[in-house]
Amino acid sequence: MAVASVTQAGIVGRHHEEPDQLYVETRELRVQGFLLFMVSDLVLFSSFIFAYLYLRNTGQGWPPPGAPKLDLALAALNSVILFGSGATMHFALENWKHRNFMKFANWIIATIVLGAMFLSGQIVEYAKLAVGWGSSGIFGAGFFTLTGMHGFHVFCGIIYLTVLLLQAVQGKYTFNKYTGLTLGTLYWHFVDVIWVVLFSIFYLY
Amino acid sequence: MAVAAVHSGGIADHIHPEPEGFLRKYVFSIDHKIIGIQYLVTAGIFMILAGALAELIRVQLMKANGGFMTPDTYNAVFTMHGSTMVWFVIIPLLTGAFGNLVMPVQIGARDVAFPWLNMIAYWIFPVAGLMLYSSFLMGAPVAGWTEYPPMSLQGAAGTSMWCAAVFLVGIGSTMTGMNFLVTILKMRAPGMTFTRMPLFVWGQFVTAPLLMIATTALGAALAALFIQREFGVPFFDPTKGGSPLLWQHMFWFYSHPAVYIMILPAFGIISEVFPTFARKPIFGYKMIAFSSCAIAILGFMVWAHHMFTSGMAPTLQLPFMVITMLIAIPTGVKIFSWTTTLFGGVLEFSTAMLYSIGFLLLFTIGGVTGVFLAAVPFDLHAHGTYFIVAHFHYVIAGGSLMGALAGLYFWYSKMTGRLMNETMGKWSFWLYMIGMNGTFLPMHWLGLWGMPRRYAVYDPQFQTWNQIESWFSFVMTASILLTMFNAIWSLKHGKKSGHNPFRARTLEWQIPSPMPYYNFKHIPSVFAPPYDFAEPLPYRGLEEELTDSPPPIPAAH
Repeated sequence: MAVASVTQAGIVGRHHEEPDQLYVETRELRVQGFLLFMVSDLVLFSSFIFAYLYLRNTGQGWPPPGAPKLDLALAALNSVILFGSGATMHFALENWKHRNFMKFANWIIATIVLGAMFLSGQIVEYAKLAVGWGSSGIFGAGFFTLTGMHGFHVFCGIIYLTVLLLQAVQGKYTFNKYTGLTLGTLYWHFVDVIWVVLFSIFYLY
Repeated sequence: MAVAAVHSGGIADHIHPEPEGFLRKYVFSIDHKIIGIQYLVTAGIFMILAGALAELIRVQLMKANGGFMTPDTYNAVFTMHGSTMVWFVIIPLLTGAFGNLVMPVQIGARDVAFPWLNMIAYWIFPVAGLMLYSSFLMGAPVAGWTEYPPMSLQGAAGTSMWCAAVFLVGIGSTMTGMNFLVTILKMRAPGMTFTRMPLFVWGQFVTAPLLMIATTALGAALAALFIQREFGVPFFDPTKGGSPLLWQHMFWFYSHPAVYIMILPAFGIISEVFPTFARKPIFGYKMIAFSSCAIAILGFMVWAHHMFTSGMAPTLQLPFMVITMLIAIPTGVKIFSWTTTLFGGVLEFSTAMLYSIGFLLLFTIGGVTGVFLAAVPFDLHAHGTYFIVAHFHYVIAGGSLMGALAGLYFWYSKMTGRLMNETMGKWSFWLYMIGMNGTFLPMHWLGLWGMPRRYAVYDPQFQTWNQIESWFSFVMTASILLTMFNAIWSLKHGKKSGHNPFRARTLEWQIPSPMPYYNFKHIPSVFAPPYDFAEPLPYRGLEEELTDSPPPIPAAH
């Protein structure tokens, strides 16, 4: 089985190798450490979400004067793109687990492209709103800060996944040792989940 | 038996090769013990700065009608004193220094989970400190360590620098918290269950999630303040729809847990010192451990008790008041457990023990005034007066700092192989007790008489007591300087300690002093908690630690 998939991938170095105990235990540490990183990142988002909801609900009524109208259709399309990228990332990792390198590479490239499309969509939305971060009052304090933070996470994620892809091409991961890919997938899903919350509080609430 | 250690192949056997060269060994070290010492020394340097600022405050307050500083300078001085002490002295001392130095050895590990992250977390800290002090060059922050808007919005450019510096040091704390949490969860020696961990490890274990979660929340608040100041986004500006109260919520959601970050490791330290010098098992091991968890959880639900006077619905005041008072229960459990540990013991009054007893007395006073302040009617009267200053200095200078000093006198020999001088140590303790109480005790009644905090000038009727405080503050400074001198002097002239001068029972005392880079030749097995003084040591596999057998060989990769 393993030999066949290496041939299919056409790249040497991803041979079938049983992970030793050191690798298994290090993987546990890395996954746990990464989960904790995501917890503290979640706290960062939660704090700003709290700030936004606090300002929204204790001020002089909502929307505040001068706040632009958000484009629900564009945002919904953008959301579909981002959730789609979550699915493609899932397929990428599943294909790696099934030792299919080419399909893995295709799906992760699809994820990167979808991520870039999401970012472009967000830039279009910012341009259409035509108000500045500092000049749009507490609307901008919530909307631009949070979506900007999220966009920055997507941007980092695109770079992260590109690096993972290049490392995989170079043979850094084997079909039995791929903790880095697991962590990248976790990160991408995390960014997806954050968007569910942001979409709900800005466009649906 | 005397062969090089056999590898089981797991992470426990992951040994760093012996570091070579000055840079690898002492500067960019990834060894948790060296990093601990680096934290200790750096925090000591910041403590000299913060102490000098404190003395400037006291000299200013010797005259009621204004001393030598303008009110603005005075504001900058107490702001920097508070910021430095909280983020650059107490938290790094208790988590970075003693946590790194002792915790991995106490759980029988060879290092923390992520040694490189540990090194990066340390190096963030002095850089952030330089940034903090560089704000003096661009107009220092003046709104106190709490930096309430709107004053912090009007402060000079240094206020933004302050935000950046504290944000950065917070990132380092978050990394340390993550690192410690994974280390304690995953890297304990075989047989070391949670209820066999030393209580200092429990202290770090409960502190780590607080560091991780609360510090990130502070990071958000600081980022928002920075964004408001630099980009004009009105989070906190009421004229543009923002809310100054929002800052108070965001800040205290961190800063109340932060006081537990500053005290839980100190609880851990004195829980190690008391049984060792009373020669008795710690009383209520599980109660001490679990009450720490209760304090940590409750600590996240009480932040608004700092805001009773900020305009708050009475329906909200009541639950915050009640939950705050509830914290007195787990804290009381600890105080009684320690007292009972001492009761009937054969006490040996070493300096570490004296500082721990001092902790018990002074922290209890600070804790009791904390319960006063939790009561809304009392808080409305005492808020913003010197009563608050007295309260938190009893908790931090009398609690956290005394705990750290006890830890220094206790574990010094594990760093250096020598003991600190006991005569100087005892002098430093008594000077500290006299100076600390003389400085902060009168603040209780000054506060109740209505003397407001943070003012550069004050009503002349309070001048006598303020002068008394200032004179005593010099005694306290002398004590700290004496301890620092002692630490440096003992490097060369201290008595050789041997590996276990206090006949203590936790794992760090079973290996040579100073601790070797690999910690253990063989990872020991543990089969009981470490405090049962009548029994033999509850470890297996330590026979070779003190012999000349060769050190373990790093596993090949």
